[in-house]
Amino acid sequence: MGTKKSQMKRITSIKTDRIGKMASTTTELKVSAFLAYKFIAKGNRGTSALTILIMALAFVNLMFTTSVFDGMGDATEKQVIDTLYSNIVIEPKDDEVYIKNPDSVVKKIIHVPGVIGTSAQYVTGATIAYEERSGAWSIRAVDPDDERTVSLVPDMMIAGEYLSKYDRGEIIIGKEIAGGHGGSLEHISLGGVVVGDTVEVTFTNGVRREYRVKGIFDTNFIQSNQLAYVTEKELESVLGIHDMASQILVKTDTKGEEGRFLNQFVELGVHEDIKPWTVYAGIVATLTQSFSVLNTLTGAIGFFVAGVTIFIVIYVSTVSKRRQMGILRAIGIKESIIIRSYIFQAVFYAMCGCIAGLVIMFAILVPYFIKHPMVFPMGNVTLLIEQKAAIVRSVGLIISAAIAGFLPSWRAVRETILDAIWGD
Amino acid sequence: MMKRDGQDTIIATRNLSRTYVMGNMQVTALNQVTIDIRRGEFAAIMGKSGSGKSTLLHQLGLLDTPTEGEIMIDGVDISRLSESEQTRFRLEKFGYVFQEYAILPELTALENVYLPAMALGLSQDECVTKGVDALEKVGLAERADHRPRALSGGEQQRVAIARALINKPKILFADEPTANLDSASSKQILELFRALNRDIGQTVLMVTHELEDADIVDRVIWLADGEVVEREG
Repeated sequence: MGTKKSQMKRITSIKTDRIGKMASTTTELKVSAFLAYKFIAKGNRGTSALTILIMALAFVNLMFTTSVFDGMGDATEKQVIDTLYSNIVIEPKDDEVYIKNPDSVVKKIIHVPGVIGTSAQYVTGATIAYEERSGAWSIRAVDPDDERTVSLVPDMMIAGEYLSKYDRGEIIIGKEIAGGHGGSLEHISLGGVVVGDTVEVTFTNGVRREYRVKGIFDTNFIQSNQLAYVTEKELESVLGIHDMASQILVKTDTKGEEGRFLNQFVELGVHEDIKPWTVYAGIVATLTQSFSVLNTLTGAIGFFVAGVTIFIVIYVSTVSKRRQMGILRAIGIKESIIIRSYIFQAVFYAMCGCIAGLVIMFAILVPYFIKHPMVFPMGNVTLLIEQKAAIVRSVGLIISAAIAGFLPSWRAVRETILDAIWGD
Repeated sequence: MMKRDGQDTIIATRNLSRTYVMGNMQVTALNQVTIDIRRGEFAAIMGKSGSGKSTLLHQLGLLDTPTEGEIMIDGVDISRLSESEQTRFRLEKFGYVFQEYAILPELTALENVYLPAMALGLSQDECVTKGVDALEKVGLAERADHRPRALSGGEQQRVAIARALINKPKILFADEPTANLDSASSKQILELFRALNRDIGQTVLMVTHELEDADIVDRVIWLADGEVVEREG
């Protein structure tokens, strides 16, 4: 009985001790928050505004490069999908050159919810010549009506018109083939073909035909600008085949869910090779990898610079308040309360900086780059602010600020009270 | 072991020394100081500049650590206290008034006053009530919401006194509290100390270099070259 009582007493004592410690921590947090609030709210407004501005610029610095890289990645992905491969590519099985009866494949998948377009097409190599210049390029043969459902190329004509279903003897070419439009590969282009000119095309089977250039397109993407298009019927007459396809492009209403469609197509009895666009987007993978390395590097440097900046700002603040900190300690305010009040201030400034930084990004920089996009070989690039990147950088900046708030205040409370109040 | 003094002794030092090392030199600021301060006493530490009076106050106020000797305050041997226990001891048992009106410019007079009460864990209402009481004691209740920059030097020092009183300290330490004040404000501050001592029995230990202050206190502890002397020469 006595043992039970003493055990109960011990438990009660431990509980009381814990409650006491919790109350003490709550009190400390309350006082720290009170001091931090007062220092911010009643301190020098100019200093606060400048500190927040510095934090905002540190945040923009962290976000900008990432947004450019993300924008470049996004632009490239869009280009690959919109002008090259759409979302899903169905190819012949390994041992076959063509998909036979592509219509039967299309019929199986066209009603799958989320599929919004298909385009069965031939792809072949050819040499295109104009006057003294010639080069080897890839030619796609499409049904123009179907192609409009999977590709944006028909909307990107810079001269002439896109193909019509029954066109014969006509070709449309990308600006890198045509030349004369300020492309990146001007030196290997045809040197300035214009709509109405006639080019000579030699196909891989040796057939040579002349085509009138019906239109020239510019997708702003170096890869798709090196394509030429003729109608499906035209190429069938060249190759002497019918009702076949080198590939079927499938457009879906969402990006990133290609895997789901792949499974559904297989279940519906599509036995050909089905691949998502990412398989063909080697350039995107390489870019994404390189961007990721650059991103990590610039991010690390950015965090370091932001951390040092915040450290200097807080350090200056603690140096100027050294005497005040000494007085607080002298009157019995715990060091941890003082340190925490500086951490709270730093975190507050960092949070305001992140918000101000986001405002700068969304209200100034993003609209500016939408109006004046950066021109890259993968197309026009605008800033892309990914939610995850913004959260990671905000949290990173806030943690940097907390550390930067802790270190100088911790150092300041290390010195003796007398040195803090009356020292040099 | 220091001999325990009579019940009325609130501060007792035995052979207290403080030596500073400055480069290769050792400077003795206090040398074997033995004093007793009674509870409810209004005492002044006086002496010439460099006599060690502020150093003594700092040792007694736990703002510095003596090189040698013992200090017993309110029955507690303070050498046995850890750093955090000393902080708590200062918060609960001491009140400080510094030469410079050491109050925070970002806080109102009332907030400055109740900050130590807040650190003790009192609720906001209790803090305000006690803060206003303390400000009333120093005659500044009507200026509770003013920030320090809107107060005169004398008023700021009275706010510092109110802050020192908020937790009902056992001892009120004042380090040259009138040094930066004009004669009228100085007189007001000293009278305030006297009244607090007389009315609520507040123990006050004050460092001053003004000879005329000797008339207002119960006792003067004279220091010369870091040692207690009969009377300054």
